Amino acid sequence: MTTLTKAPEAPVELSDSARAFQLEVREWLEANAPAELKGLRLPRYRTSGEVKRLVEGWTERLADAGFMCVAWPKEYGGRGLSGVEVALLNEEFHRAELPRMTRGMGEGMVGPAIIAHGTEEQKAYFLPRIIAGQDRYCQGFSEPNAGSDLASLRTRGVLDGDDIVVNGQKVWTSWFWDATMMFCLCRTDPSAPKHKGISYVLIPIQSDGKPNGIEFRPIKQMSGEGHFAETFITDARAPQFNIIGGLNNGWSTAMTTLANERGGGATTQHTAFQEELSRLVDDARRLGKLNDPRVREQLAWAHSNVEIMRYSGLLMLNALAAGRDPGPGGAASVTKIRWSEYERRLGEIALDILGPEALVTAGDDYQLAPWQQTFLQTRTHTIWGGTAEIQRNIIAERVLGLPKEPGA
Amino acid sequence: MSVGMTAEREELARSVGGFLAERTPMAEVRRLMADPTGHDPAVWRQMGKEFALQGIAVPEEYGGAGYGYAELAVVFEQMGKTLLPSPFFATVALALPALLASGDEAAIREYAPGLAAGESVGTLAWVEDDGAWRGGTATSATNSGATWTIEGHKAYVVDGSAADLILVIAETPEGRSLFAVSGDATGLDRQATPSFDQTRRLARIELHGTPARPVGEAGRGDEILAAALDRAAVLLAAEMVGGAQACLDMSVGYAKQREQFGRLIGSFQAIKHRCAEILVELEGARAAAYYGAWAADASPAELPMVASIAKATASEAFFRAAGENVQMHGGIGVTWEYDAHLYLKRAKTSSILLGDPSFHRQRLADLLEL
Repeated sequence: MTTLTKAPEAPVELSDSARAFQLEVREWLEANAPAELKGLRLPRYRTSGEVKRLVEGWTERLADAGFMCVAWPKEYGGRGLSGVEVALLNEEFHRAELPRMTRGMGEGMVGPAIIAHGTEEQKAYFLPRIIAGQDRYCQGFSEPNAGSDLASLRTRGVLDGDDIVVNGQKVWTSWFWDATMMFCLCRTDPSAPKHKGISYVLIPIQSDGKPNGIEFRPIKQMSGEGHFAETFITDARAPQFNIIGGLNNGWSTAMTTLANERGGGATTQHTAFQEELSRLVDDARRLGKLNDPRVREQLAWAHSNVEIMRYSGLLMLNALAAGRDPGPGGAASVTKIRWSEYERRLGEIALDILGPEALVTAGDDYQLAPWQQTFLQTRTHTIWGGTAEIQRNIIAERVLGLPKEPGA
Repeated sequence: MSVGMTAEREELARSVGGFLAERTPMAEVRRLMADPTGHDPAVWRQMGKEFALQGIAVPEEYGGAGYGYAELAVVFEQMGKTLLPSPFFATVALALPALLASGDEAAIREYAPGLAAGESVGTLAWVEDDGAWRGGTATSATNSGATWTIEGHKAYVVDGSAADLILVIAETPEGRSLFAVSGDATGLDRQATPSFDQTRRLARIELHGTPARPVGEAGRGDEILAAALDRAAVLLAAEMVGGAQACLDMSVGYAKQREQFGRLIGSFQAIKHRCAEILVELEGARAAAYYGAWAADASPAELPMVASIAKATASEAFFRAAGENVQMHGGIGVTWEYDAHLYLKRAKTSSILLGDPSFHRQRLADLLEL
């Protein structure tokens, strides 16, 4: 494969303890890495078959060695790693060509919300279950009529004895196929202003081995795949103990969920894009397109974008390592817009380079070739996790200080 | 040596920014635009004597401060914010990098201290009438014993009229080489060319039997030129980042005070989203410029590619910011009295100077061996 960048060692000034941590991770990986996993490229969403078995085994080995929920504070079972240390951890996994497994949304979203807003009893109960992989979460936020305007959600939660009973409909539920729990926003006070009457509830998908009124129907996306589901919630029950942050206070709990520790992916995020672009260069060469000045310019444009992700990551990591504010360049919305719009454009360029090859799928049953998949999958990336438009609003209002939308 | 901002570099940015804001407010910029000299020699000397700005990246043994391009980029960013009409770019981004890259100890000792101290102005003359940024040369140098003379012309010479020292690329039997020509040399004819961006002066020069001194070994001209132009591209990118930031600040400031339809216009998504997009592009350009400056100091093998990435990215970011700034101001934005057009002209001309984005992406494709 074409190697586009031979980058020097990342010029980051690290403390001795950070260097020691990096070395410790490197040594552990050298001693424990399963050879058959090395260099394995995981699909972005679901794994299956032999790959799934390998990945699950590796996940459990990492969990036993304490590599889950590493950014959580030590008292809650994490390692209390800083953004810089998480970045180093990611770098070491990347160097060893091994996937770094996590506990998904439980680790990245639910745990941080519980740590920030939960009671000590809730922390003691829920956090160890996430670390152990016992509770695996999917997200129940968006609704058919509450997308970007999430706070207008209508799923209802009603108190009933010691329980809360939830009814409604959610949509775009990812990771539903593996989930045992859903973290769900529901309206518990319809008379309150829209941000004030919402609760954040952890609902079991099953209760004592029986269905708990949560039904997933996979949504067939334009790629033919079904990575998301519609979720129908009918009299789903959870103990009131499972309400995080207090009744009717779910909006601020959810906002914590969306604002995560920065810096973890700073110096590795670009690597997958680098590999993806190298594959496109190889395809362009195979098709004899590298003499076309327009193609050369497009590929150089793409390389520039991936390099800028690398540079930005270094700037951010350096700032964090020195205890300085990374500035607007480190804002999560800036990063999201940059990578999602870049990759969407790359998908378009890739099909242009394929030319007539792009007109034909890889097989019957709408089996797509990799660039066709990229082209279609990347259309979702500027929508989920806050659309490109919502990210622009966030930058305008929170970074640039422009006035809020009237009525938002 | 770390990439990007440090506490020390932030302090440098504050002090340079403060000095420029005080000494060259927009009224002064406009006065200098109309001035035949095109810059204020008193400010030039003060920048050199009090702030040692010209010599920041010049080694101490040659009269500089011995810092690096990372610090210099910070200074250029501040220069870009204010549009200061000054031969700073010609002297510091073109002449000094070429002189230092020549490795010609005697020439460096003769010229660098004066340039670094703000006692003289320098420039680099390599482009000719065909306007090719990295093209050939019809100008030639011939010698009789140790005495060299140059015959030919150069075009689009930045601050070519103000320069005391003109470093000229000319063909010799050994290949292209670098020469030093004094601003008062015989047979040197300089014509100021009226510039579209009135804050950056250009000249066309003719050389007829003009005495010149070789700088660096004969035949090393291309190598020296390449080293200088990559550094110049990074510094121009840093200057453009400053310009883009100034435009975004103006747009956001205006959007927070201008009301239409009973609302501040900054509350409309049509305005908000464009400001957000400019910020994203600007921060990308800033990362490329800072990384490029670091590479000029610490990772020279990467520099040619990073220089082209930074130049292309910053050109687009600045032009976008400057164009949208005019648009977001509405009618006032297209007037002569308002400053928005000064940035628009600086943005477009800087985008073209040293090669436009398309030129640099084609070059990057070549460097990547695509």
